[in-house]
Amino acid sequence: MVSPALLIAVPLGLAFAVPLIGLASRKAAQYVPVVASLFNLVVSVILIPQALDGPIVVHIGGFGPPFGIMLFAGPVGLFMSTLVALAGFIVSIYAIASIKTGPTTRYHTLYLLLLIGATGLVLTGDIFNLFVFFEILTISSYALVAYHGDRGGLEAAAKYLVQGAVGSSLILLGIGLLYGLTGTLNMASIAAAVGPVTSVSVFVAMALIVVGLGVEAAIFPLNAWLPDAHSSAPSTISAILSGIAIEVGLYAVVRVVFTVFGASSMLLFLAFLAVLTLLVGEMCAFAQHNIKRMLAYSSIGQIGLILFAVALASSASVAAGLFQLLSHTLSKVVLFLAAGYMIHRSGSTEISSLEGMGMRMPLTSLAFAVAAFSLVGLPPFAGFPSKFLIIRTAVAQQGALFLVLVGLVLFGTVIEGTYFFRVVQAIFFKKRDSQPARDEAPALALVPMFLVVALIIAIGVYPDAITGLLDSAAAELLERAQFIRSVLG
Amino acid sequence: MTFLHNYIYYIGALGLVLIGLLIVLAKHNLIKVIIGLSILDTGINLFIIAVGYIREGTAPIFSEPGLEPGRMVDPVPQALVLTSIVIGVAILALALGLAVKLHKEYGHLDLRKIKELRW
Repeated sequence: MVSPALLIAVPLGLAFAVPLIGLASRKAAQYVPVVASLFNLVVSVILIPQALDGPIVVHIGGFGPPFGIMLFAGPVGLFMSTLVALAGFIVSIYAIASIKTGPTTRYHTLYLLLLIGATGLVLTGDIFNLFVFFEILTISSYALVAYHGDRGGLEAAAKYLVQGAVGSSLILLGIGLLYGLTGTLNMASIAAAVGPVTSVSVFVAMALIVVGLGVEAAIFPLNAWLPDAHSSAPSTISAILSGIAIEVGLYAVVRVVFTVFGASSMLLFLAFLAVLTLLVGEMCAFAQHNIKRMLAYSSIGQIGLILFAVALASSASVAAGLFQLLSHTLSKVVLFLAAGYMIHRSGSTEISSLEGMGMRMPLTSLAFAVAAFSLVGLPPFAGFPSKFLIIRTAVAQQGALFLVLVGLVLFGTVIEGTYFFRVVQAIFFKKRDSQPARDEAPALALVPMFLVVALIIAIGVYPDAITGLLDSAAAELLERAQFIRSVLG
Repeated sequence: MTFLHNYIYYIGALGLVLIGLLIVLAKHNLIKVIIGLSILDTGINLFIIAVGYIREGTAPIFSEPGLEPGRMVDPVPQALVLTSIVIGVAILALALGLAVKLHKEYGHLDLRKIKELRW
């Protein structure tokens, strides 16, 4: 039997081996993230059937629940860690072709640490451990945003760092308060101790933790850092921040609200925030002329959509939200990677400079178009079943209020369609007077993109393949008593 | 006065947190903002220590005779603070590194004038 602890231990060991390997050969260092994320992908997939039977609980160091640190690899955790490893694998192959300048060895170390932070965050069952992995994730992403060392990157990293550091301080304050109230750091023990949120101090602790995590998840009033950071980072890092980091932040918010506090009274408020996030993100994206900024704002909108589905808190809608999370990760990774090479070839991030790219880089443009259509929600791509399920489950909720919210969500989706179609139209149908010769991205960049494109189509055609996993993941998030029982016995 | 006597550590720690937040929000110089972050961090560390503190308590060492478990200070918050101090140092170092780089690029650290990225 493989232990889920390996998902953290092996990449962590490899991350710190990267500088040593880099001393021997700078070329060898770039293959280490590929190996590490492939390992994580394989182990996560192997563990999924076992987790579907019952969550795998690992006590680190052999101490029992209220004392020691514990890993909790249930369906949600393994679904997320598979997603992290998959996106990490795809982006690390692409990075072999695209990351050639600058301190590349440090890049690969930090990149692996980012993946470890994300993996650990989704697998841990201890709230302070969650904070530590959160910090590993954020500190390495601050550094990676400034990787090029240009004015934009430095400015974005400084903004991101100040906002992120205040956010993580608030989380720590909330954890301190929670420890003072319950005397334990284990999520299940806390959940058993607080019961339903009633007292003011429990509410303050929850508010502090949710606001702190919300900075990373880019929920509406806390998303000011995201467009700058995602548009100034190297394309590989934009892809991983947009495809992994904010989703993991959102997972942490959901885990804390649902499992640790069981705060069902807060869900309507979260649904409102989610719709607001969606509308703000999509409208800002509509107004952008910079392709990476447009994609960054679109991520904010998508986070709003996922949070909206999850905040409805029926088992079908949480599963639909997780499905949307999957399809967003797949699409956004391809979009950022494809846009990365288009920007590299055209030398400009303006959308108008992408005109005629359909002739110049047909395969890259094709990958971009498929991912964009999937994100908008066209069949037969993965975005169609996920968005369809969200709307269907939201309409199934009783009450006129939900119908209004669904209307606003659909409005946001229409805006999303408009700006994505505008970009695809510019790429394929606008002619340039002097058409440059065909100049495709290298195979090392195309192969990972088309791997994901194949996955997007496969899931879009046959969504039943993953609905079983998503349903049990949703059940894990919603059934709090079950979670407490499976940890405390 | 008993209120002050009972809660003085919490008041002091949360006061530091608020001072730190105020500096982060109100100052325009990046170095001052970083100092604010550091004060915020210190306040939170003190708060967590205060959570586990017992007046006239003893160290949690069971091998020494004469120390009773009821009077022992909770060691867990101190372990948490140790971790959080290390994380704080990492953030501080990274922030100062960024500040040095920004100063090389712009020649100043005034956050009002560092805005190449538009909304």
